[in-house]
Amino acid sequence: MEQDIDVLTRRAFLRTSLLGAALSWTIPVFLERTFITLNAQAADSSIQTITGKDHPILVVLQLAGGNDGLNTIIPFEDDLYFRARPTLGIPKGQVVALDNFVGLNPSLAPLKGLYDNGNLAIIQGVGYPNPNRSHFRSTEIWQTASDPQQTLTKGWIGRYFDNCCNGADPTVGVVLGEQLPQAFSAANPTGVAIGRPGNLGFDRENDPDEARLFSELNGMEPGSMSGDSIGTLSGPNKSGMSALEYLQRTALDAQVSTDKIKQVLRGTKNEAAYPKNQLGSSLSLISRLIAGGLPTRVYYASQGGYDTHAGQINTHKRLLNDLATSLAAFCDDLKAKGIFDRVIVMTFSEFGRRVHENANGGTDHGTAAPMFVCGGGVKPGLYGKQPTLGSLDAGDLVYSVDFRSVYSTILSHWLKAPAAQILGRDFPKLSFV
Amino acid sequence: MLSPLAPSRWNFDAAAHLTVRAGFGGRPDEIQKIQALGLERAVDMLVDATPDHYPPPAWADPHDQDELRLQVQEALTPEQKQLAQKLLNEQFRNEMKDLTRWWITRMVNTPSPFIEKMTLFWHGHFATSGLKVRPAFKMWLQNETLRRNALGNFSTLVKSISRDPAMMVWLDVAQSKKENPNENFAREIMELFTLGEGHYTESDVKEAARAFTGYRINGPDQSFKFAQQQFDSGLKNFMGKTGPWNGDQIVDIIVSQPQCARLIGAKIWKFFAYDVPEPNLVDALASELRNGRYELRPFLKHLFSSEEFYSSQSRDSQIKSPVQLLVQALRTLPIPLPDSSVLEFALRQMGQVPFFPPNVKGWDGGKSWINTATLTFRYKLARQLVEGVDPQEIGMPKPPAMEMTAPRPTMTPPLLVAQIVSAEDRQQPDTLVEKLFVRTFQCNPRIELMNKFGDFMSTRKVPLDDNAIRDLLVLMMTTPNYQVT
Repeated sequence: MEQDIDVLTRRAFLRTSLLGAALSWTIPVFLERTFITLNAQAADSSIQTITGKDHPILVVLQLAGGNDGLNTIIPFEDDLYFRARPTLGIPKGQVVALDNFVGLNPSLAPLKGLYDNGNLAIIQGVGYPNPNRSHFRSTEIWQTASDPQQTLTKGWIGRYFDNCCNGADPTVGVVLGEQLPQAFSAANPTGVAIGRPGNLGFDRENDPDEARLFSELNGMEPGSMSGDSIGTLSGPNKSGMSALEYLQRTALDAQVSTDKIKQVLRGTKNEAAYPKNQLGSSLSLISRLIAGGLPTRVYYASQGGYDTHAGQINTHKRLLNDLATSLAAFCDDLKAKGIFDRVIVMTFSEFGRRVHENANGGTDHGTAAPMFVCGGGVKPGLYGKQPTLGSLDAGDLVYSVDFRSVYSTILSHWLKAPAAQILGRDFPKLSFV
Repeated sequence: MLSPLAPSRWNFDAAAHLTVRAGFGGRPDEIQKIQALGLERAVDMLVDATPDHYPPPAWADPHDQDELRLQVQEALTPEQKQLAQKLLNEQFRNEMKDLTRWWITRMVNTPSPFIEKMTLFWHGHFATSGLKVRPAFKMWLQNETLRRNALGNFSTLVKSISRDPAMMVWLDVAQSKKENPNENFAREIMELFTLGEGHYTESDVKEAARAFTGYRINGPDQSFKFAQQQFDSGLKNFMGKTGPWNGDQIVDIIVSQPQCARLIGAKIWKFFAYDVPEPNLVDALASELRNGRYELRPFLKHLFSSEEFYSSQSRDSQIKSPVQLLVQALRTLPIPLPDSSVLEFALRQMGQVPFFPPNVKGWDGGKSWINTATLTFRYKLARQLVEGVDPQEIGMPKPPAMEMTAPRPTMTPPLLVAQIVSAEDRQQPDTLVEKLFVRTFQCNPRIELMNKFGDFMSTRKVPLDDNAIRDLLVLMMTTPNYQVT
């Protein structure tokens, strides 16, 4: 460095050295042995995993709060719709028609282009039997793909990782957010959460003694220990880990993943104008990570605010607009990067909302709702059945497609994974991919 | 079950365990005082504490934001209205950050940390978010309501919360109409606050919603008022009991269900002791709570005196929540309190901003606090707290140029080494390491771990200077062990 060390403060010294440091990622010896062990296990298994740079990618987009499906895909010819929603009903003239019976909420207009280009599939009336109207329970059901009476703890994507991605990098699953969703919860915990790109990585001390002690205390050195437990770091299985073990494993995952992600981000940029909101930022980051060759199979992002019990009109408008503009920009970006054919995006919400509007200009928790699936490999069009407003279940829509059919289709046709094994049994598949 | 801890097992580590779990930790001399009291008197002292008089934030009165709200209403042009609305939102955000700092400061300085810890517990339980509640005054008011009732009677607490303006806004009670009652509060009070899913029916939800009609907020002073004409006084069939029930009576029926004591007993245990209490322990806790008619003080004294609370299962098993991590560091080490923007940013990165729980369920806690992103940040924060917080280095974005009134985040001075280390200590690395170990990890030294720090410090020049001692503290705080109590 050009500057005189004596003049700089200690802090500034550390800062510049961190930024200037070459990104050499040295793998501790025991870690290398671990990967070899894990890869050997994978080789033994009978599941063929797709390796290499061409693996298909799933982006899961959660619409948190319960998206009002009836105002998303609108049956604009149905008089019952307008009678049930005197103030919330979207006037027929404003709906962006998809066929003679249903159309998009006007705030979703940017998705019409995707639909016309053959990149968007819309699955109508998705739900499950004995629908649950609690945010947490219903989200849990969607995240774990359980039956209504079952309580499972591992997520459907986590079970995909367990079944198909043994020995894979912790970045096999990446979440844009501060927390790993329950969908990622696996018998062998994996997955990386990217809160803010600027926060990646541990500050590594320049002093070699400090650096070594830090690594040792965090289980990154061979034969290191936390003072209480150890020994499990050579195995992949994180379930039932004590708090301390879990912390050490996470520290290790963090170190290993962040160098890689930083490297990838350095070499990529956006090819589209994303809207300036959180969803836009998340998708733009995902696009760069895909283009940069990160071995991630499943990305997960979420957009909150859909729990519109009161004053729904403006809130829903804003949310759908953010959703549509971000998705459209994402698809454009992927196309420009030449990777659109490898990616599909799936949206889901924990439930739809009641047919009748309530007395506060909003809607309460409901049941069935549509899902969007878009991407290069999608077979476009309308799937499932628009739920009939003529015969409701205690004021709620009746589903026609079980959400696990959607998962099953994606797992089997897109990710080439054993869907029945992952979901517990067979579900009829659709043909949107 | 729940028999008292044998006196022979009451020692420094037990006293430290109590101090950390029933509070936010203490200086070594404070823990020694608690130890000297003996288990019974220590627990009595902690649990019998009452809230001190503590002034509210300057802006926290019923007229909070009246002026700016009026400006929005009286705006003559759409541009004026937009500007006024923007200022209103900014003021709210600044007040909420200030409120967070107000509460953290209280937690750090209070002579009665158990009250604050219990208030934090109830805040997570009756999780209400500032995202929907305006103005900030309501959030302060709810905090005081929780504090006032934190150690009293649980049934009284539930009834008080049902009348709390912030809660009434959050779960739509304040707008619920007789003709078409809003089900949000009725559902959550049973699902989350008292019974848990599966212990009530959809019909119970609908009937309870009818009973919670007529609850309104009086505009001028933000207090509760009952609007008789909006109340559905008809007969309700709730949990098998028919009558013209009102909200309080619904609470009475709910609390009389054995399941309520199980849910509350188990949840309190999970927060203070360990994650999964055994079924017969839950039975014992539930009995205790029911037999004491839901009086919380006797119940908690029993809990904090029990063998199970001090068992090995209960030690080194709990991952510190972000608030615990921060407040414990500020209470036990001479670290200056960062300003409100920095505090709010740090707590947000770690996943726990008071007054903004992620949803009605509160914070899940435990391992869910930790993933690659949050652990990385905890380590970064530890270094910054010890060396002095630099907002840019900790990753704070520059405040948007459009934000006109937000206070600019400031740098925080470094930890004051001289307050905890004497001149003699600096000459004796081993003694210094031991003292700082006890203070930082809140327990007697674990020899093997302590020796690692000792070996490291023996390579530093003696007398040890402030930088070397800060390096040591950072190393201690960037370990998996430090994340756990």
